[in-house]
Amino acid sequence: MPHDDLRGFLDALDKAGQLLRVTDEVLPEPDIAAAANAAPRLGDAAPALFFDNVKGFTDARIAMNVHGSWANHALALGLPKETGAREQVAEFVRRWEAFPVEPEWRENPPWAQNTLEGDDADLFRVLPLIRLNDGDGSFYLDKAAVVSKDPDDPEHSGKQNLGIYRLQVKGRRRLAIQPVPMHDIALHLRTAEERGEDLPVAITLGNDPLITIAASTPMKYEENEYGLAGALRGAPAPIARAPLTGLPVPWGSEVVIEGVVEGRRREFEGPFGEFTGHYSGGRSMPVIRVDRISYRTDPVFEHLYLGMPWTECDFLIAANTCVPLFQQLKADFPEVQAVNASYTHGLVVIVSTNKRYGGFAKAVGLRVLTTPHGLGYATTVIVVDEDVDPFDLPQVMWALSTKMNPAGDLITIPNLPVVELAPQARTPGIVDKLVIDATTPVAPDHRGTYGTPVRDLPETADWLTRLQALAARR
Amino acid sequence: MPEPTNYTVCPRCECPRLEHVHSSPVPGVWDVLQCARCLYMWRTSEPARRTRREACPEGFRLREEDLAAAVETPAVPPLRGTL
Repeated sequence: MPHDDLRGFLDALDKAGQLLRVTDEVLPEPDIAAAANAAPRLGDAAPALFFDNVKGFTDARIAMNVHGSWANHALALGLPKETGAREQVAEFVRRWEAFPVEPEWRENPPWAQNTLEGDDADLFRVLPLIRLNDGDGSFYLDKAAVVSKDPDDPEHSGKQNLGIYRLQVKGRRRLAIQPVPMHDIALHLRTAEERGEDLPVAITLGNDPLITIAASTPMKYEENEYGLAGALRGAPAPIARAPLTGLPVPWGSEVVIEGVVEGRRREFEGPFGEFTGHYSGGRSMPVIRVDRISYRTDPVFEHLYLGMPWTECDFLIAANTCVPLFQQLKADFPEVQAVNASYTHGLVVIVSTNKRYGGFAKAVGLRVLTTPHGLGYATTVIVVDEDVDPFDLPQVMWALSTKMNPAGDLITIPNLPVVELAPQARTPGIVDKLVIDATTPVAPDHRGTYGTPVRDLPETADWLTRLQALAARR
Repeated sequence: MPEPTNYTVCPRCECPRLEHVHSSPVPGVWDVLQCARCLYMWRTSEPARRTRREACPEGFRLREEDLAAAVETPAVPPLRGTL
Protein backbone atom coordinates (compact mmCIF):
# COMPACT_ATOMS: atom_id res chain seq x y z
CA MET A 1 0.00 0.00 0.00
CA PRO A 2 1.74 3.24 -1.07
CA HIS A 3 1.95 6.16 1.34
CA ASP A 4 0.46 9.50 0.28
CA ASP A 5 2.45 11.55 2.76
CA LEU A 6 5.35 11.49 5.19
CA ARG A 7 3.09 11.03 8.21
CA GLY A 8 1.65 7.83 6.78
CA PHE A 9 5.15 6.49 6.25
CA LEU A 10 6.27 7.46 9.76
CA ASP A 11 3.28 5.47 11.10
CA ALA A 12 4.33 2.50 8.95
CA LEU A 13 7.89 2.74 10.21
CA ASP A 14 6.55 2.88 13.77
CA LYS A 15 4.45 -0.27 13.27
CA ALA A 16 7.47 -2.07 11.80
CA GLY A 17 9.65 -1.14 14.76
CA GLN A 18 11.65 1.26 12.57
CA LEU A 19 10.89 4.59 14.27
CA LEU A 20 12.68 5.66 17.43
CA ARG A 21 10.93 8.48 19.30
CA VAL A 22 13.36 10.58 21.30
CA THR A 23 11.12 12.04 24.00
CA ASP A 24 13.79 13.55 26.29
CA GLU A 25 14.45 17.26 25.79
CA VAL A 26 17.29 17.78 23.31
CA LEU A 27 19.21 20.82 22.13
CA PRO A 28 18.55 21.82 18.52
CA GLU A 29 22.35 21.70 18.13
CA PRO A 30 24.35 19.57 18.32
CA ASP A 31 22.00 16.83 19.59
CA ILE A 32 19.72 16.20 16.60
CA ALA A 33 22.45 16.09 13.95
CA ALA A 34 24.71 14.03 16.21
CA ALA A 35 21.94 11.48 16.75
CA ALA A 36 21.29 11.33 12.99
CA ASN A 37 25.03 11.00 12.42
CA ALA A 38 25.08 8.02 14.78
CA ALA A 39 21.87 6.28 13.68
CA PRO A 40 23.09 4.52 10.49
CA ARG A 41 25.89 2.96 12.53
CA LEU A 42 23.22 0.81 14.18
CA GLY A 43 23.36 -1.32 11.02
CA ASP A 44 21.24 -2.26 8.02
CA ALA A 45 18.07 -2.07 10.12
CA ALA A 46 18.77 1.34 11.70
CA PRO A 47 15.55 3.20 12.61
CA ALA A 48 14.26 6.63 11.69
CA LEU A 49 14.37 9.18 14.51
CA PHE A 50 11.58 11.50 15.66
CA PHE A 51 12.13 14.48 17.96
CA ASP A 52 9.29 16.55 19.45
CA ASN A 53 10.88 17.98 22.58
CA VAL A 54 13.46 20.44 21.29
CA LYS A 55 14.74 23.15 23.65
CA GLY A 56 13.43 26.61 22.91
CA PHE A 57 10.74 25.44 20.47
CA THR A 58 7.09 25.02 21.42
CA ASP A 59 5.85 22.67 18.71
CA ALA A 60 8.87 21.40 16.73
CA ARG A 61 8.57 17.98 15.10
CA ILE A 62 11.73 16.81 13.40
CA ALA A 63 12.15 13.50 11.54
CA MET A 64 15.67 12.28 10.74
CA ASN A 65 17.12 9.16 9.11
CA VAL A 66 13.80 8.30 7.46
CA HIS A 67 15.59 6.58 4.53
CA GLY A 68 18.68 5.82 6.60
CA SER A 69 18.95 2.03 6.39
CA TRP A 70 18.22 -0.76 3.93
CA ALA A 71 15.30 -1.76 6.17
CA ASN A 72 13.69 1.70 5.90
CA HIS A 73 14.44 1.89 2.19
CA ALA A 74 12.74 -1.49 1.71
CA LEU A 75 9.65 -0.33 3.63
CA ALA A 76 9.51 2.80 1.45
CA LEU A 77 9.29 0.49 -1.57
CA GLY A 78 6.66 -1.66 0.17
CA LEU A 79 9.07 -4.60 0.49
CA PRO A 80 9.76 -6.73 3.57
CA LYS A 81 12.23 -4.88 5.75
CA GLU A 82 14.71 -7.76 5.54
CA THR A 83 15.11 -7.29 1.75
CA GLY A 84 18.78 -6.90 0.88
CA ALA A 85 20.34 -4.11 -1.19
CA ARG A 86 20.90 -6.25 -4.29
CA GLU A 87 17.28 -7.43 -4.27
CA GLN A 88 16.01 -3.86 -3.78
CA VAL A 89 17.97 -2.71 -6.83
CA ALA A 90 16.56 -5.63 -8.86
CA GLU A 91 13.01 -4.72 -7.78
CA PHE A 92 13.67 -1.07 -8.65
CA VAL A 93 14.74 -2.19 -12.15
CA ARG A 94 11.57 -4.28 -12.49
CA ARG A 95 9.25 -1.42 -11.46
CA TRP A 96 11.02 0.99 -13.82
CA GLU A 97 9.54 -1.10 -16.65
CA ALA A 98 6.17 0.54 -15.86
CA PHE A 99 7.63 4.09 -16.21
CA PRO A 100 6.01 6.53 -16.73
CA VAL A 101 2.89 6.23 -14.59
CA GLU A 102 1.20 9.62 -14.99
CA PRO A 103 0.37 11.47 -11.73
CA GLU A 104 -3.19 12.26 -10.65
CA TRP A 105 -4.38 15.75 -9.66
CA ARG A 106 -6.04 15.83 -6.24
CA GLU A 107 -8.00 18.59 -4.52
CA ASN A 108 -7.62 19.98 -0.98
CA PRO A 109 -3.98 19.29 -0.23
CA PRO A 110 -3.31 19.29 3.52
CA TRP A 111 -0.57 21.90 3.08
CA ALA A 112 -3.27 24.42 2.11
CA GLN A 113 -4.33 24.63 5.80
CA ASN A 114 -2.03 27.60 6.57
CA THR A 115 -0.48 30.37 4.49
CA LEU A 116 2.13 33.10 5.00
CA GLU A 117 2.68 35.62 2.19
CA GLY A 118 5.02 38.47 1.35
CA ASP A 119 6.93 39.84 4.33
CA ASP A 120 5.11 37.37 6.58
CA ALA A 121 6.61 34.41 4.67
CA ASP A 122 9.20 33.87 7.38
CA LEU A 123 10.93 30.46 7.23
CA PHE A 124 11.71 30.63 10.96
CA ARG A 125 8.01 30.89 11.83
CA VAL A 126 7.26 27.55 10.16
CA LEU A 127 10.39 25.39 10.34
CA PRO A 128 12.47 24.29 13.35
CA LEU A 129 15.71 24.93 11.48
CA ILE A 130 18.86 23.19 12.73
CA ARG A 131 22.51 23.07 11.74
CA LEU A 132 24.06 19.74 10.75
CA ASN A 133 27.88 19.87 10.79
CA ASP A 134 30.24 22.21 12.64
CA GLY A 135 31.56 24.02 9.57
CA ASP A 136 28.25 24.55 7.77
CA GLY A 137 27.69 28.17 6.87
CA SER A 138 24.13 28.19 8.19
CA PHE A 139 21.05 26.07 8.67
CA TYR A 140 20.20 24.13 5.53
CA LEU A 141 17.17 22.50 3.90
CA ASP A 142 18.67 19.44 2.22
CA LYS A 143 15.78 17.03 1.82
CA ALA A 144 13.33 19.28 0.00
CA ALA A 145 12.19 18.46 -3.52
CA VAL A 146 12.42 21.55 -5.71
CA VAL A 147 10.00 21.88 -8.65
CA SER A 148 10.81 23.99 -11.71
CA LYS A 149 9.96 24.16 -15.42
CA ASP A 150 11.89 24.75 -18.63
CA PRO A 151 11.16 28.44 -19.36
CA ASP A 152 11.39 27.78 -23.10
CA ASP A 153 8.94 24.86 -22.98
CA PRO A 154 6.85 25.20 -19.80
CA GLU A 155 4.04 22.92 -20.95
CA HIS A 156 6.38 19.94 -21.54
CA SER A 157 5.82 17.82 -18.44
CA GLY A 158 8.92 15.75 -19.12
CA LYS A 159 11.17 18.78 -19.03
CA GLN A 160 9.67 19.81 -15.71
CA ASN A 161 11.99 18.87 -12.85
CA LEU A 162 11.63 17.62 -9.29
CA GLY A 163 15.06 17.43 -7.69
CA ILE A 164 16.82 17.65 -4.34
CA TYR A 165 19.35 20.46 -4.04
CA ARG A 166 21.02 21.89 -1.00
CA LEU A 167 19.37 25.10 0.18
CA GLN A 168 21.14 27.40 2.63
CA VAL A 169 18.97 29.55 4.87
CA LYS A 170 20.24 33.11 4.38
CA GLY A 171 17.46 35.06 6.02
CA ARG A 172 13.80 34.99 6.96
CA ARG A 173 12.78 34.99 3.29
CA ARG A 174 16.05 34.10 1.58
CA LEU A 175 17.64 30.83 0.56
CA ALA A 176 20.65 29.88 -1.53
CA ILE A 177 20.47 27.00 -3.99
CA GLN A 178 23.19 24.83 -5.47
CA PRO A 179 22.28 23.94 -9.06
CA VAL A 180 25.06 21.53 -10.07
CA PRO A 181 25.67 22.22 -13.78
CA MET A 182 24.88 18.59 -14.69
CA HIS A 183 21.45 18.77 -13.01
CA ASP A 184 18.19 19.69 -14.69
CA ILE A 185 17.45 22.79 -12.62
CA ALA A 186 20.76 24.27 -13.78
CA LEU A 187 19.48 24.01 -17.36
CA HIS A 188 16.23 25.72 -16.32
CA LEU A 189 18.10 28.49 -14.54
CA ARG A 190 20.46 28.99 -17.45
CA THR A 191 17.52 29.40 -19.82
CA ALA A 192 15.77 31.84 -17.48
CA GLU A 193 18.95 33.86 -17.06
CA GLU A 194 19.59 33.95 -20.83
CA ARG A 195 16.07 35.39 -21.12
CA GLY A 196 16.80 37.90 -18.36
CA GLU A 197 14.14 36.39 -16.09
CA ASP A 198 13.78 34.95 -12.60
CA LEU A 199 13.06 31.21 -12.33
CA PRO A 200 9.88 30.36 -10.35
CA VAL A 201 10.33 27.42 -7.97
CA ALA A 202 8.25 25.46 -5.48
CA ILE A 203 10.19 23.85 -2.64
CA THR A 204 8.34 20.93 -1.10
CA LEU A 205 9.35 19.65 2.34
CA GLY A 206 8.29 16.52 4.18
CA ASN A 207 7.29 14.37 1.23
CA ASP A 208 6.19 10.77 0.96
CA PRO A 209 9.23 8.50 0.79
CA LEU A 210 8.93 7.60 -2.89
CA ILE A 211 8.71 11.23 -3.96
CA THR A 212 12.03 11.75 -2.18
CA ILE A 213 13.56 8.70 -3.88
CA ALA A 214 12.30 9.80 -7.31
CA ALA A 215 13.52 13.38 -6.75
CA SER A 216 17.02 12.12 -5.94
CA THR A 217 17.19 9.74 -8.93
CA PRO A 218 19.50 10.97 -11.71
CA MET A 219 16.91 10.76 -14.49
CA LYS A 220 17.30 12.01 -18.04
CA TYR A 221 16.31 15.62 -18.77
CA GLU A 222 12.99 14.72 -20.42
CA GLU A 223 12.00 12.06 -17.88
CA ASN A 224 9.38 13.15 -15.35
CA GLU A 225 10.10 12.29 -11.71
CA TYR A 226 6.38 12.00 -10.87
CA GLY A 227 6.19 9.32 -13.57
CA LEU A 228 8.90 7.39 -11.74
CA ALA A 229 7.24 7.91 -8.34
CA GLY A 230 4.08 6.39 -9.84
CA ALA A 231 5.99 3.42 -11.23
CA LEU A 232 7.59 2.82 -7.85
CA ARG A 233 4.23 3.15 -6.06
CA GLY A 234 2.38 0.99 -8.53
CA ALA A 235 -0.23 3.78 -8.62
CA PRO A 236 -0.32 7.40 -9.80
CA ALA A 237 1.48 9.88 -7.55
CA PRO A 238 -1.01 12.43 -6.13
CA ILE A 239 -0.13 16.04 -6.99
CA ALA A 240 -1.70 19.47 -6.57
CA ARG A 241 -1.10 22.91 -8.04
CA ALA A 242 1.01 25.29 -5.98
CA PRO A 243 -1.12 28.43 -5.43
CA LEU A 244 1.40 31.15 -6.36
CA THR A 245 3.50 29.60 -9.13
CA GLY A 246 1.04 27.04 -10.48
CA LEU A 247 3.82 24.43 -10.34
CA PRO A 248 2.79 20.80 -9.78
CA VAL A 249 3.79 19.77 -6.25
CA PRO A 250 3.20 16.62 -4.20
CA TRP A 251 -0.30 16.56 -2.70
CA GLY A 252 1.00 15.15 0.57
CA SER A 253 3.84 17.58 1.36
CA GLU A 254 4.12 19.06 4.84
CA VAL A 255 5.32 22.46 3.59
CA VAL A 256 5.35 24.16 0.17
CA ILE A 257 7.62 27.19 -0.18
CA GLU A 258 7.20 29.28 -3.35
CA GLY A 259 9.34 32.00 -4.79
CA VAL A 260 11.90 32.64 -7.48
CA VAL A 261 15.57 32.03 -8.10
CA GLU A 262 16.62 35.60 -8.74
CA GLY A 263 17.99 35.76 -12.26
CA ARG A 264 21.61 36.79 -12.89
CA ARG A 265 22.37 37.17 -9.20
CA ARG A 266 25.06 35.31 -7.21
CA GLU A 267 26.00 35.59 -3.55
CA PHE A 268 28.38 33.81 -1.16
CA GLU A 269 27.14 30.36 -0.10
CA GLY A 270 28.53 27.59 2.09
CA PRO A 271 30.56 25.77 3.10
CA PHE A 272 28.43 22.67 3.67
CA GLY A 273 29.47 19.19 4.83
CA GLU A 274 28.68 17.22 1.69
CA PHE A 275 27.95 13.66 0.53
CA THR A 276 31.63 13.32 -0.39
CA GLY A 277 32.50 13.39 3.31
CA HIS A 278 34.24 16.74 2.85
CA TYR A 279 33.15 20.35 3.17
CA SER A 280 32.30 21.97 -0.12
CA GLY A 281 34.11 25.24 0.35
CA GLY A 282 32.35 28.54 -0.23
CA ARG A 283 31.22 29.69 -3.67
CA SER A 284 29.13 32.41 -5.24
CA MET A 285 25.76 30.83 -5.93
CA PRO A 286 22.16 31.72 -6.87
CA VAL A 287 19.67 33.14 -4.39
CA ILE A 288 15.97 32.36 -3.85
CA ARG A 289 13.44 34.95 -2.71
CA VAL A 290 10.61 33.36 -0.71
CA ASP A 291 7.17 34.82 -1.51
CA ARG A 292 4.73 32.35 -0.01
CA ILE A 293 4.73 29.45 2.43
CA SER A 294 1.86 26.96 2.67
CA TYR A 295 1.95 24.36 5.44
CA ARG A 296 0.09 21.70 7.33
CA THR A 297 -0.79 22.52 10.91
CA ASP A 298 2.11 21.37 13.11
CA PRO A 299 4.26 20.39 10.13
CA VAL A 300 6.88 17.65 10.43
CA PHE A 301 10.28 18.99 9.41
CA GLU A 302 12.16 16.20 7.67
CA HIS A 303 15.91 16.74 7.48
CA LEU A 304 18.85 14.73 6.17
CA TYR A 305 22.18 14.26 7.91
CA LEU A 306 25.10 13.74 5.56
CA GLY A 307 28.81 13.55 6.15
CA MET A 308 31.45 10.84 5.96
CA PRO A 309 29.68 7.87 4.30
CA TRP A 310 27.61 5.91 5.06
CA THR A 311 24.92 8.26 6.25
CA GLU A 312 21.22 8.49 5.42
CA CYS A 313 22.18 10.28 2.21
CA ASP A 314 24.04 7.20 0.97
CA PHE A 315 21.07 4.88 1.58
CA LEU A 316 18.81 7.38 -0.20
CA ILE A 317 20.93 7.63 -3.35
CA ALA A 318 22.30 4.08 -3.61
CA ALA A 319 19.64 2.03 -5.44
CA ASN A 320 18.28 4.95 -7.43
CA THR A 321 21.73 5.81 -8.79
CA CYS A 322 22.40 2.21 -9.88
CA VAL A 323 19.19 1.81 -11.85
CA PRO A 324 19.30 4.60 -14.46
CA LEU A 325 22.94 3.79 -15.20
CA PHE A 326 21.97 0.14 -15.68
CA GLN A 327 19.05 1.08 -17.95
CA GLN A 328 21.14 3.42 -20.08
CA LEU A 329 24.04 0.96 -20.48
CA LYS A 330 21.71 -1.96 -21.16
CA ALA A 331 20.06 -0.02 -24.00
CA ASP A 332 23.32 0.02 -25.96
CA PHE A 333 25.00 -3.07 -24.50
CA PRO A 334 22.54 -5.87 -23.68
CA GLU A 335 25.49 -7.86 -22.36
CA VAL A 336 25.55 -5.68 -19.21
CA GLN A 337 24.34 -7.72 -16.21
CA ALA A 338 24.32 -5.33 -13.24
CA VAL A 339 25.60 -1.93 -12.08
CA ASN A 340 26.66 -0.97 -8.57
CA ALA A 341 26.89 2.81 -8.28
CA SER A 342 26.10 2.80 -4.54
CA TYR A 343 29.30 4.41 -3.40
CA THR A 344 29.35 8.19 -2.94
CA HIS A 345 26.61 8.81 -5.50
CA GLY A 346 28.45 6.86 -8.21
CA LEU A 347 31.85 8.53 -8.04
CA VAL A 348 32.88 4.87 -8.35
CA VAL A 349 30.84 2.61 -10.63
CA ILE A 350 31.18 -1.18 -10.87
CA VAL A 351 29.69 -2.90 -13.93
CA SER A 352 29.43 -6.62 -14.68
CA THR A 353 29.14 -7.62 -18.32
CA ASN A 354 29.47 -10.39 -20.84
CA LYS A 355 32.08 -9.73 -23.53
CA ARG A 356 31.21 -9.63 -27.19
CA TYR A 357 34.85 -9.74 -28.24
CA GLY A 358 38.24 -8.59 -27.02
CA GLY A 359 38.25 -5.01 -25.76
CA PHE A 360 34.47 -4.94 -25.25
CA ALA A 361 34.60 -4.42 -21.49
CA LYS A 362 36.70 -1.29 -21.96
CA ALA A 363 34.08 0.07 -24.36
CA VAL A 364 31.37 -0.52 -21.74
CA GLY A 365 33.48 1.27 -19.15
CA LEU A 366 34.00 4.25 -21.43
CA ARG A 367 30.26 4.44 -22.09
CA VAL A 368 29.64 4.84 -18.35
CA LEU A 369 31.60 8.09 -18.48
CA THR A 370 29.27 9.60 -21.08
CA THR A 371 25.92 8.72 -19.52
CA PRO A 372 24.16 11.82 -18.15
CA HIS A 373 25.02 10.90 -14.55
CA GLY A 374 28.48 9.55 -15.44
CA LEU A 375 29.40 12.93 -16.94
CA GLY A 376 29.25 14.56 -13.55
CA TYR A 377 30.03 11.71 -11.18
CA ALA A 378 31.74 8.54 -12.45
CA THR A 379 35.45 9.08 -11.90
CA THR A 380 36.53 5.44 -11.54
CA VAL A 381 34.76 2.64 -13.41
CA ILE A 382 35.53 -0.99 -12.63
CA VAL A 383 34.32 -3.52 -15.19
CA VAL A 384 34.05 -7.15 -14.09
CA ASP A 385 32.93 -10.41 -15.71
CA GLU A 386 29.31 -11.48 -15.93
CA ASP A 387 29.77 -14.03 -13.14
CA VAL A 388 31.10 -11.46 -10.69
CA ASP A 389 28.45 -9.77 -8.57
CA PRO A 390 29.27 -6.03 -8.47
CA PHE A 391 27.45 -5.75 -5.13
CA ASP A 392 29.76 -8.39 -3.60
CA LEU A 393 32.92 -6.41 -2.93
CA PRO A 394 35.07 -9.47 -2.07
CA GLN A 395 34.21 -10.84 -5.52
CA VAL A 396 35.12 -7.49 -7.08
CA MET A 397 38.43 -7.55 -5.23
CA TRP A 398 39.01 -11.09 -6.54
CA ALA A 399 38.51 -9.79 -10.08
CA LEU A 400 40.92 -6.91 -9.47
CA SER A 401 43.40 -9.33 -7.94
CA THR A 402 43.44 -11.82 -10.80
CA LYS A 403 42.05 -10.28 -13.98
CA MET A 404 43.55 -6.82 -14.09
CA ASN A 405 47.01 -6.21 -15.55
CA PRO A 406 47.94 -2.54 -15.30
CA ALA A 407 49.95 -2.91 -18.51
CA GLY A 408 46.79 -2.81 -20.61
CA ASP A 409 43.80 -2.58 -18.32
CA LEU A 410 43.97 0.96 -16.97
CA ILE A 411 42.60 3.70 -19.20
CA THR A 412 43.04 7.26 -17.97
CA ILE A 413 41.27 10.08 -19.75
CA PRO A 414 42.40 13.56 -18.79
CA ASN A 415 40.25 16.60 -18.08
CA LEU A 416 36.72 15.28 -18.08
CA PRO A 417 33.83 17.04 -16.32
CA VAL A 418 32.96 16.21 -12.73
CA VAL A 419 30.71 17.71 -10.11
CA GLU A 420 32.53 20.62 -8.45
CA LEU A 421 32.11 18.95 -5.07
CA ALA A 422 34.49 16.11 -6.03
CA PRO A 423 37.42 16.76 -3.69
CA GLN A 424 40.04 14.96 -5.79
CA ALA A 425 39.88 17.45 -8.67
CA ARG A 426 42.84 19.81 -8.87
CA THR A 427 40.65 22.34 -10.68
CA PRO A 428 37.10 22.00 -9.30
CA GLY A 429 34.84 20.58 -11.99
CA ILE A 430 37.59 18.92 -14.06
CA VAL A 431 39.22 15.60 -13.29
CA ASP A 432 41.08 12.74 -14.97
CA LYS A 433 38.93 9.61 -15.08
CA LEU A 434 39.90 5.95 -14.88
CA VAL A 435 38.43 2.80 -16.39
CA ILE A 436 39.71 -0.46 -14.90
CA ASP A 437 39.12 -3.56 -17.01
CA ALA A 438 39.00 -6.44 -14.52
CA THR A 439 37.39 -8.90 -16.92
CA THR A 440 38.90 -12.07 -18.37
CA PRO A 441 40.36 -11.29 -21.80
CA VAL A 442 38.55 -12.95 -24.72
CA ALA A 443 39.63 -13.36 -28.36
CA PRO A 444 41.22 -11.59 -30.06
CA ASP A 445 42.65 -10.35 -26.75
CA HIS A 446 44.86 -13.25 -25.65
CA ARG A 447 46.63 -11.69 -22.66
CA GLY A 448 47.03 -13.66 -19.45
CA THR A 449 47.00 -17.33 -18.57
CA TYR A 450 43.43 -18.22 -17.74
CA GLY A 451 42.83 -21.95 -17.48
CA THR A 452 39.69 -23.56 -16.20
CA PRO A 453 38.05 -21.43 -13.49
CA VAL A 454 36.74 -22.92 -10.26
CA ARG A 455 32.95 -22.78 -10.20
CA ASP A 456 30.51 -23.27 -7.34
CA LEU A 457 29.71 -26.95 -6.79
CA PRO A 458 26.38 -27.86 -8.38
CA GLU A 459 24.89 -28.57 -4.93
CA THR A 460 25.99 -25.23 -3.40
CA ALA A 461 22.80 -23.28 -4.11
CA ASP A 462 20.65 -25.93 -2.38
CA TRP A 463 22.98 -25.97 0.57
CA LEU A 464 22.82 -22.20 0.87
CA THR A 465 19.03 -22.43 1.14
CA ARG A 466 19.28 -25.24 3.73
CA LEU A 467 21.81 -23.35 5.83
CA GLN A 468 19.75 -20.15 5.73
CA ALA A 469 16.68 -22.08 6.92
CA LEU A 470 18.67 -23.71 9.71
CA ALA A 471 20.09 -20.36 10.78
CA ALA A 472 16.63 -18.77 10.81
CA ARG A 473 15.32 -21.51 13.15
CA ARG A 474 18.10 -21.05 15.68
CA MET B 1 23.41 30.83 28.12
CA PRO B 2 25.11 33.85 26.52
CA GLU B 3 22.99 36.86 25.72
CA PRO B 4 22.97 37.92 22.08
CA THR B 5 24.48 41.22 23.11
CA ASN B 6 27.61 39.33 24.15
CA TYR B 7 28.41 38.72 20.51
CA THR B 8 30.53 41.47 19.03
CA VAL B 9 32.01 39.79 15.95
CA CYS B 10 31.19 36.99 13.53
CA PRO B 11 32.78 33.74 14.77
CA ARG B 12 33.82 32.89 11.24
CA CYS B 13 35.01 36.10 9.54
CA GLU B 14 35.33 38.51 12.49
CA CYS B 15 33.03 41.09 10.92
CA PRO B 16 31.45 43.32 13.59
CA ARG B 17 28.18 43.78 11.68
CA LEU B 18 25.75 41.28 13.20
CA GLU B 19 22.01 41.04 12.69
CA HIS B 20 19.36 39.50 14.89
CA VAL B 21 17.23 37.13 12.78
CA HIS B 22 14.98 35.21 15.16
CA SER B 23 14.24 34.52 18.83
CA SER B 24 13.25 31.18 20.36
CA PRO B 25 9.48 30.60 20.55
CA VAL B 26 10.03 29.90 24.27
CA PRO B 27 11.20 33.37 25.31
CA GLY B 28 14.79 33.86 26.34
CA VAL B 29 16.20 30.43 25.44
CA TRP B 30 18.20 31.32 22.35
CA ASP B 31 18.50 33.76 19.46
CA VAL B 32 19.56 33.33 15.85
CA LEU B 33 22.21 35.80 14.66
CA GLN B 34 23.77 36.40 11.26
CA CYS B 35 26.93 38.03 9.96
CA ALA B 36 26.09 40.80 7.49
CA ARG B 37 29.26 40.14 5.48
CA CYS B 38 29.80 36.36 5.12
CA LEU B 39 26.14 35.50 5.92
CA TYR B 40 27.18 32.92 8.55
CA MET B 41 24.17 32.17 10.74
CA TRP B 42 24.16 30.58 14.17
CA ARG B 43 22.04 29.95 17.21
CA THR B 44 23.37 31.36 20.46
CA SER B 45 22.83 28.00 22.20
CA GLU B 46 25.27 26.20 19.88
CA PRO B 47 28.67 25.05 21.15
CA ALA B 48 31.42 27.67 21.41
CA ARG B 49 33.28 26.17 18.44
CA ARG B 50 30.45 27.45 16.27
CA THR B 51 29.61 30.68 18.04
CA ARG B 52 32.78 32.23 19.48
CA ARG B 53 35.55 33.70 17.39
CA GLU B 54 38.24 32.53 19.78
CA ALA B 55 36.94 28.94 19.65
CA CYS B 56 36.25 28.77 15.88
CA PRO B 57 38.61 26.17 14.35
CA GLU B 58 41.18 27.56 11.95
CA GLY B 59 39.81 25.47 9.09
CA PHE B 60 36.40 27.10 9.33
CA ARG B 61 37.61 30.71 9.52
CA LEU B 62 37.04 33.01 6.56
CA ARG B 63 38.90 36.10 5.44
CA GLU B 64 37.61 38.93 3.30
CA GLU B 65 39.79 37.74 0.40
CA ASP B 66 38.17 34.28 0.61
CA LEU B 67 34.81 35.92 0.01
CA ALA B 68 36.15 37.99 -2.87
CA ALA B 69 37.70 34.89 -4.48
CA ALA B 70 34.51 32.78 -4.34
CA VAL B 71 33.92 31.20 -7.75
CA GLU B 72 30.60 31.91 -9.45
CA THR B 73 28.70 28.62 -9.73
CA PRO B 74 27.06 28.25 -12.13
CA ALA B 75 28.40 31.15 -14.16
CA VAL B 76 25.82 33.74 -15.23
CA PRO B 77 25.27 33.17 -18.97
CA PRO B 78 25.13 35.95 -21.57
CA LEU B 79 21.70 37.43 -22.27
CA ARG B 80 20.13 36.16 -25.48
CA GLY B 81 20.80 38.40 -28.39
CA THR B 82 23.90 39.92 -26.87
CA LEU B 83 26.45 37.63 -28.56
